[in-house]
Amino acid sequence: MTLEQFYKEISDAIVELNKEKAISLANRAIEEDLVLLDVIEKGFGDGIRRIGDLWEEGEFFLPELMLGGTIMQESLEILLPHLKKQGEQVSSGIVVIATIEGDIHSIGKTIVATMLSANGFEVYDLGADTSAEKIIETAIKKHADIIGVSALLTTTMFGQKKVIELLESKGMRDNFKVILGGAPVTPSWVEESGADGYADNAVEAVKLVKKLINK
Amino acid sequence: MLFDNWLNDDSKIILFDGGMGTEIFKRGIKLGKLPDLLNIEEPQVISEIHKAYYDAGSNMVQTNTFGSSYLNLQNYKLEDRINEINEKAIENIRVSCPNGALVVGDIGPSGHYRPPVGKITPEEWFQSYVKQVEILEKGVDLWHVETISDIEEMKATLEAIKKVSSKPIISSMTYKKTKRGFFTIMGDSLEKCITIQESYKVSVIGSNCTLGSFDMIDLLKDMKKITSLPISIKPNAGKPRLDLGGQTHYDQSIEEFADHIHKMIDLGVKIVGGCCGTSPKTIYEIKKIIKSISRS
Repeated sequence: MTLEQFYKEISDAIVELNKEKAISLANRAIEEDLVLLDVIEKGFGDGIRRIGDLWEEGEFFLPELMLGGTIMQESLEILLPHLKKQGEQVSSGIVVIATIEGDIHSIGKTIVATMLSANGFEVYDLGADTSAEKIIETAIKKHADIIGVSALLTTTMFGQKKVIELLESKGMRDNFKVILGGAPVTPSWVEESGADGYADNAVEAVKLVKKLINK
Repeated sequence: MLFDNWLNDDSKIILFDGGMGTEIFKRGIKLGKLPDLLNIEEPQVISEIHKAYYDAGSNMVQTNTFGSSYLNLQNYKLEDRINEINEKAIENIRVSCPNGALVVGDIGPSGHYRPPVGKITPEEWFQSYVKQVEILEKGVDLWHVETISDIEEMKATLEAIKKVSSKPIISSMTYKKTKRGFFTIMGDSLEKCITIQESYKVSVIGSNCTLGSFDMIDLLKDMKKITSLPISIKPNAGKPRLDLGGQTHYDQSIEEFADHIHKMIDLGVKIVGGCCGTSPKTIYEIKKIIKSISRS
């Protein structure tokens, strides 16, 4: 089997949501002492991108997205310690994410966090009903590149703006990119609140974060 | 009973109500974590909103109990108050309901998902809904299960209602539009959802939320191909916009929304109303359309 075929097999295992196969291929890559960065990027990463495409095509839905993301995360957990031994850095960037204070809706945010981790980001998920202060405190401590703030309600959406205002008052607005999520968020709200972007769903969110980090 | 008469009367278009959240806002009430708590804290405001819908022409209006199932109240640590919140909801709507109109028991999603998205089991859903339905049963004329995005949760809800009540059920799910047609976010097709809902002998198959009035026209066309049961549609009024003062606005005009509803009536929808972003004004506008149709 060529390397390309091996990568394809990994990618297929992810798309087929075959956890056992994905894990066993991850272990095989370690045993055979392959360049793990390539294995992650061309195998697992390719699979998770294909899952994103299938979501956009209306072929995959939430269960497939979550399952694919979880299999990816578990495979990465096996690979990462060995990757460090090979002297490689895998993190594509650091993201602190939370649902804002007063809002207990966490499912969308959790899916975004899962998909970001699956795409190689180091994600700190602070859960739901989280204060702007705590989000910023964590972002500083973890040297985050991106802060993601979710709100499902028009009534709690205002808290998203509070995060940005608080960053401004601390003179730290330029230290982080702030992205918004949640059903009521629109481009005009992003503009009014002074955020750096928003995404309609988890697949879009991954693209957005990649774009912002590469800026 | 009255609702069955309406269903059996081919010339009758049943007018349902519109949104609750923005109406609460308009009355200067600062929304806490759960609007259903206002059944206790601001009962007169809730009654006033119900009355505004009946006055605008709604044949039936639903209780302010969208989030008052046991599981959802638990999300807000309010599960101990399940009796009080649901009982007050009935009181608040009963004082506003005129003769010849109906009270609909509103049942919304639990906020929990089954694996692999979440951890809930069908039995937990069922038990949670049984608790709510038992409290509401004595005060409502019929049921509206709405905004359900998982057919498995809908099954648990319908089983719970059937266990406690023999009143008519409007069974409304929320769909997203994909390149391959309408699906729930859990991946169930419109056809699968409708077939399962029909097997529970519901009176009306419906859809509400997620989609705006324009997309709902297409959804209705697809629904008509699958079911011969009466259909209920409650679309959103476009996307909300928040201004810097924290006020919510919806960009779609009432006239456009009502025009889309008119098209749906022409396509044979039985029950019409609105979801997020609609108001008594929207309902009044639809009322005028219904009147003009019955005159011609």
